[in-house]
Amino acid sequence: MKLVIDGVGKQYSGKLWGLRGLRLELGPGVVGLLGPNGAGKSTLMRILATVTRASEGRVLWNDNDIARSPDTLREVLGYLPQDFGVYPHLTALEFLQYMAAVKGLDASAARQRIDELLAVVNLAEARDRALGGFSGGMKQRVGIAQALLNDPQMLIVDEPTAGLDPEERARFRNLLSELSGERIVIFSTHIVSDIEAIATDIAILGGGRLLAHAAPEDLLRAVEGKVWEWVIPSPEIPAAKQKFLISASVRRADGVHIRIVATERPASAAVPAAPTLEDAYLYCISSQRTSAAA
Amino acid sequence: MSDTTNRGRILYHLALADFLERVRRYSFLLTMGISIYLGYASVTGQLAMRFNDERGIFNSAWIGGQMAIIASTFLSLAGFYVVKNTIERDRLTRVGEILASTPMTKTLYVMGKAISNFVVLAAMAGILAVSGIIMQLWHAEDPHVDLWKLLAPFLLIALPAMAVVAGVAVLFETIPGLRGGFGNVLYFFVWSLALALPVSTAEKNGGYSFDWSGLSVVWDSLRNAANGPRTHSSFSLSIESVSQTHSGITFLWNGVQWTTGLVWARLFWFLVALVFTFLAALLFDRFDPARGRFLRAAPVPTFIDDDPAENRPPAEPTYAALSLTPLATRESHFRFGAILLAELRLMLKGQKWWWYAVAAGLIIACAAAPDASARGMLLACAWFWPILIWSKMGVREIRDQTSQLIFSAPHPLARQLPAVWLAGVLLALITGSGFGGRLLLARDWRGLLAWLIGALFIPALALALGVWSGSSKLFEIIYTLLWYIGPMHATLQLDFMGSAPGTSHTLIPAFYSVLAAAMTAVAFLGRKRQLQT
Repeated sequence: MKLVIDGVGKQYSGKLWGLRGLRLELGPGVVGLLGPNGAGKSTLMRILATVTRASEGRVLWNDNDIARSPDTLREVLGYLPQDFGVYPHLTALEFLQYMAAVKGLDASAARQRIDELLAVVNLAEARDRALGGFSGGMKQRVGIAQALLNDPQMLIVDEPTAGLDPEERARFRNLLSELSGERIVIFSTHIVSDIEAIATDIAILGGGRLLAHAAPEDLLRAVEGKVWEWVIPSPEIPAAKQKFLISASVRRADGVHIRIVATERPASAAVPAAPTLEDAYLYCISSQRTSAAA
Repeated sequence: MSDTTNRGRILYHLALADFLERVRRYSFLLTMGISIYLGYASVTGQLAMRFNDERGIFNSAWIGGQMAIIASTFLSLAGFYVVKNTIERDRLTRVGEILASTPMTKTLYVMGKAISNFVVLAAMAGILAVSGIIMQLWHAEDPHVDLWKLLAPFLLIALPAMAVVAGVAVLFETIPGLRGGFGNVLYFFVWSLALALPVSTAEKNGGYSFDWSGLSVVWDSLRNAANGPRTHSSFSLSIESVSQTHSGITFLWNGVQWTTGLVWARLFWFLVALVFTFLAALLFDRFDPARGRFLRAAPVPTFIDDDPAENRPPAEPTYAALSLTPLATRESHFRFGAILLAELRLMLKGQKWWWYAVAAGLIIACAAAPDASARGMLLACAWFWPILIWSKMGVREIRDQTSQLIFSAPHPLARQLPAVWLAGVLLALITGSGFGGRLLLARDWRGLLAWLIGALFIPALALALGVWSGSSKLFEIIYTLLWYIGPMHATLQLDFMGSAPGTSHTLIPAFYSVLAAAMTAVAFLGRKRQLQT
């Protein structure tokens, strides 16, 4: 099971490139795809899900070019887009039955799978209610269920935790962790904490290009010795924001505790801190912006 | 800044933003294309105004009158469908929810939308006015261009009519039942009635009390010019060949005598448009989904329900149940029957009991009506009843934003699209079964074939128009027109249903079978294009 992204780019009308020269090779595991808004994450997701065609390069699924034979991938694909709708007059059960038929699932297998999925996404009690009355989070869970219908070998989830409450977010992360064994899971998000615990690989996109692709440990190693914690009075925050890359700040009785990502100690009072993935991500993005500005 | 100035500024920006959003869409080019085509058809003489089978000499008055009448009749129909989407756009883009949270009043909002509608319609009519000047120079029967005579009908006939259409369009958009497909279909009948009735009233009683289109103003003036009797005169806009235009008898018409009373009578329609707009503002739900649901005949099920059991909070999550049984086989199987049934269920889901009751009534009536002509008329009704279901074919995936889910499933072109088409065919076969059953029992094989072709043609047309336009509207308009002129008026060439007794013995069913195949191919090409973006 292998997915090769070979020099993929997408050009939109107006000659604007949403994605350019992307190269990645993915095997089983959870790949966390991180990037700021407009980095090209959703464009890449749509290309991998065979919904959009790349303007350049190719994507190979087990050596098959998905632009030429998209159905080889579609047969084993589960996809949860960032923005999707549901048929408001169908119930959750009917919608999943419809999607199972479209995906070509065997009738009896589909029945059992739908029952299980409705329980897993916590919608068993709402299965016979029309989707038009579902909240945003409930619709998102229906979306998650449909993506898992065919027990996909490749699961692409684009901002899957949007609209979920903290409890459901944790539940979804656990589910994904459980499922990640023998499949490729591509989890796109800009919330680092969503993938911190479950990603085996992290790819960071910025400005339509791949900035980094590494194991979380390697990304953390890259910012080792570059993260500092410093306590400053509140009025000094604006000046500190101007000068340093601040990854977090917490207001306490003794002042504001800020985390700074910098190659050199920002002040004599600043103390070294253990880096987090959020620090590593911000460091990577800010490095790209600095080099782009230069 | 005074309150009045501020309101004026809001109104200006509302109308301007809406107008700019419209003109920057590709569909606006199509909109202008309608006017350019009408202008071209007039200039080249393919579209001509006639009075008692005569035409006026092509001077400024005649050409101005003709262009204004074209705007009042054709543009008041096509233009309505062009502009009736302004509030819907804000609803779909969710800009409406943001606007609703501002201090802007409902009246200002609806007024801004009506003004934008009017500007678009006036631009369309303006193209016809410019075409008028070209037409006079082109034909050169009277080389003197009298701008007042040429443009007065545009200003006093076409523009008030366009204002009425602009107001009616926002009114339709603010009434929940008329917002969608039903409103589109209903407008066609309202328009035909509203066009014909005031003219016949004016003919009988004189005066222009209900003549919003200005047709009788021109007709009356023509009658006076021709010095003929008040009765036995005919007035038409006809499609004809260029040679016809240049042949026949001509007469001189110097245009409508614009008395003060007549000018006020025309300007009165701006006031009527304003009344429609205020009424729309009164009914406007300010994008409140709860109010929208309340106003619907039957509420869409919501999470909050009267049933206390339904209101129970969801059960506490059970974290232990997080494992899924792997599927025995991941291979997908081609279960066409399952997809077909799923598509049929999707089509019919949400229909009320009375929809089925009427459909069943029409089936029984088709089967029981003794007279063949009556049966034909009943079949036309039976195949008009599901228009709002067919019109969603090929559109649903875009409208409900499920395209990414459906298009990333295996073989969307070979499996899902044929299932959609076949579900539409099944619906036609079921709703027309009363007529088909009669033909079968009578062993009228030719008639049965013509009926079957009709059942294949309608969903093919719906699917093709839906896939390519991305909207239900185009099918609703075209099918209503086809249905009204064809089966309802027994126009043989347009009898795609084979409902008239003689149709099955002509080549017309063969023509529609080819058209059905072509439409199906066009739908497939359209969907293929959607998949390859």
